[in-house]
Amino acid sequence: MHRLLLPGLAAALLLAGGSTWAVDGPPGGPPGASSCTGCHASAKITDSVIPRIAGRKAADIVTFMREYRSGAWPSSVMGRIAKGFDDQQIDAIAAWFAAQPE
Amino acid sequence: MSTRRHFLKLGAAAAMAPAVVSAQGAGAGRVVVIGGGFAGATAARTLKTLEPKLTVTLVEPNPVYTSCPFSNSVLANLREIEQQQFRYDGVKRAGVTVAETSATAVDVDAKAVTLADGNRLSYDRLVMSPGIDFNWTAIPGYDEAAAQKMPHAWKAGAQTVLLRQQLQSMQDGGLVVMSVPANPFRCPPGPYERASLIAYWLKIWKPKSKLLLLDAKDAFSKQRLFQNGWAELYPGMIEWVPLSQGGKVTSVDPATLTLVTEFGSHKAAVANVIPPQRAGAIAAQAGVADRTGWCPIEPVAFESTLRPGIHVLGDAAIMGGMPKSAFAANAQAKVCAAAIVELLAGRKAPDPILINTCYSLVAADYGISIAGVYRPTNGQLADIPGAGGVSPLEAVGGLRGQEALYASSWFRTITAEVYG
Repeated sequence: MHRLLLPGLAAALLLAGGSTWAVDGPPGGPPGASSCTGCHASAKITDSVIPRIAGRKAADIVTFMREYRSGAWPSSVMGRIAKGFDDQQIDAIAAWFAAQPE
Repeated sequence: MSTRRHFLKLGAAAAMAPAVVSAQGAGAGRVVVIGGGFAGATAARTLKTLEPKLTVTLVEPNPVYTSCPFSNSVLANLREIEQQQFRYDGVKRAGVTVAETSATAVDVDAKAVTLADGNRLSYDRLVMSPGIDFNWTAIPGYDEAAAQKMPHAWKAGAQTVLLRQQLQSMQDGGLVVMSVPANPFRCPPGPYERASLIAYWLKIWKPKSKLLLLDAKDAFSKQRLFQNGWAELYPGMIEWVPLSQGGKVTSVDPATLTLVTEFGSHKAAVANVIPPQRAGAIAAQAGVADRTGWCPIEPVAFESTLRPGIHVLGDAAIMGGMPKSAFAANAQAKVCAAAIVELLAGRKAPDPILINTCYSLVAADYGISIAGVYRPTNGQLADIPGAGGVSPLEAVGGLRGQEALYASSWFRTITAEVYG
């Protein structure tokens, strides 16, 4: 139930205007975002087991990052990476990727 | 191409005049990038994508880039060297001009780069990503000629193929000796991945052989994970000799494939000497390298603390807590490109956060990883406390196999982003 509620909450926060990175932030996205595409391909490529995140719903990215960070969702490197970001930074990165072409 | 030729001709014609030639579109900003590895190719391409009005020239003499990441898999016959090779077509399609020559000098006062073909490129901002050069005087006996007998294979390409040939011609029961330098050097876990994958191959094809790993230090990246993997997969095959037990190689004799340490000497059937390193030679010429041989930078736009206006990226730079990895070079280049766009527009570059992720293979289907998250702290790029770390020592649920798959997916993704 908690997992179902979380995306809605995050989406509501984003709609409330928390982050404007997607439209008028500095080029390249908010802090940390540009590193992600080393693994999560920015353009469509075949033959990767690592999912793309460009164009995904911001709320979904926020949910995954928070659950990786807490350990609620098991992971290999993502839990270790998510621990380097606070809620606000995660929201900004999620909004920015959501605005990229899928 | 015709535009560049035209521009280069103008450059030659203008050589009589005191002023250096201006690239087309002056005013929008001219950026020259020296070196087309993971850092330089990423920087050039990202600059053009973020600000199409910029004139971006990538100076790189080799038409084909051979990637070091995954080159250890070539040694173990898991890949071919051609799968490591990438051309600059994608970089050119992004609007970057590629000058297929080397940079011979940087004139910091005139803000111009002299090229081996005699031309000069003026710049508003210069990005230097020259990678590494070897310190050929560090180990007596180990010079460029010796590297033909005892390959370093630490710049991927012909050396990688040579080392593989030597391993394949070796008799079963032969001793493979590797020599690893003290920190810092390119790819901290790389020598240990190499030892692992050579052992993986020996176990199948030359099972009576052994590998001796002579190390100039007493600890290494992902050490417990590697050593647990060696005990599990290659019992008795790999012997690691740390500094305190005589691991430091003090001289070599290429004629007899002998490596001499403080404690004795070892005669190898195949010898892989990874020598001490420093930033690529052009860095010292430009004055961006300090007495250590590496390049100090500030941690926001990676601008040289010795030569303002020059940004240094990748293995050549002193990046605080960030290791010398391809992932790190790519991440730094994207941050730097965005910062340069801001600086050229007269704005301040924002404080970045950077990620590093680095996979190593202990066997074809056995991967381990290290990750870190970094931000500027007290003038250095420093680890964010509480983040990062290595794979768990106890793997559950097929984690090692999963990380091996992530490793190959990462390689396909990053090479597509940089060169695709």
